[in-house]
Amino acid sequence: MNELMAARSLTTRPVVTLGGDAVAHVKDTVCDAGASRITGFTLTGRGLLSGPLKEGLPWSSVYALGHDAVMIRDRRGLVSAAVLTERRQSLRAEVIGARVLTEAGDEVGTVLDVVVEGGTGGRVVGFRVAASRRFVPGQSRHGRRVYVPRGVSATLAGRDLVLAGEAAAHVADDLPGLTALVAGVPGHPKGSPP
Amino acid sequence: MLFTEVRGLPVLVPDGDGPVGTVTSLTVDVAAGAVSRLRLRRGRFRGETALPWEAVLSVGPGAVRVGSAEAAESAPVHHELLGHRVLTENGTARGTVLDVAFAPETGRVLAVFTTRGEVPPDRLLGLGDHALVVRTAWAVR
Repeated sequence: MNELMAARSLTTRPVVTLGGDAVAHVKDTVCDAGASRITGFTLTGRGLLSGPLKEGLPWSSVYALGHDAVMIRDRRGLVSAAVLTERRQSLRAEVIGARVLTEAGDEVGTVLDVVVEGGTGGRVVGFRVAASRRFVPGQSRHGRRVYVPRGVSATLAGRDLVLAGEAAAHVADDLPGLTALVAGVPGHPKGSPP
Repeated sequence: MLFTEVRGLPVLVPDGDGPVGTVTSLTVDVAAGAVSRLRLRRGRFRGETALPWEAVLSVGPGAVRVGSAEAAESAPVHHELLGHRVLTENGTARGTVLDVAFAPETGRVLAVFTTRGEVPPDRLLGLGDHALVVRTAWAVR
């Protein structure tokens, strides 16, 4: 399984062609309506003070999403950012802050970040969630931060993200734990001490 | 021969009585897998000149002999390999370039030595302003 990454950590990652030239930095991640996969990235320029670019990077132009760079074949893969975000919203606007609910209507918490799989798939595999007190009881004043796998299907209705079936039956404390959960390896059961 | 051995060598022309400059670096054409330009500095306050590799008669010992010290007509953008960042095609950092071995007769690149091992020349994908991009499946020998 490819490395899992928090979408927030993608911001400022360089976009590099296979020819070795950096063309931009990632500004934000754009995903599809059900928060199931990445559809692209909005970009900022390379300089320290350069603002957002008019061009965006659609996922179809991505060669590989790596730990240290987003690789693309060449600069021609960039498209107008307006096309990219025409119907989709960036993660920050749409998914982050949404309430996570199970199908039964139990509140899990609110989305802090989206976890995506690196490599060529661009799948959204889970969410970093500020767990509600009822979902993860604990003595922490700030509530618990847990990683919840997305499961096979999830629907975004307004500001509510509804996870199907057993998706929220197990949660993980960290990204390696989520990797194990998503890959189907037992371990890191719900509520294990951090 | 290694890039670090060539750097700093005096550049001699056949009928000149002294060196015309010292080697500052070598430009590599990654697609061809060979050195394409010899860059030299003619004096302390003068800029760098790029000579076509075809002008080089011999490299070492102790000096680089060139047929003529006339600058190449169109020099490609120079990206310094030594110290440059290495990225795999999957977007993972692989250290930095320490040195490059090349055949002095032909200019062909034989191997790139990085902080994370040796990269054979057929694994090199591209060299740009950000990084040297290498194919993923290279073995560390």
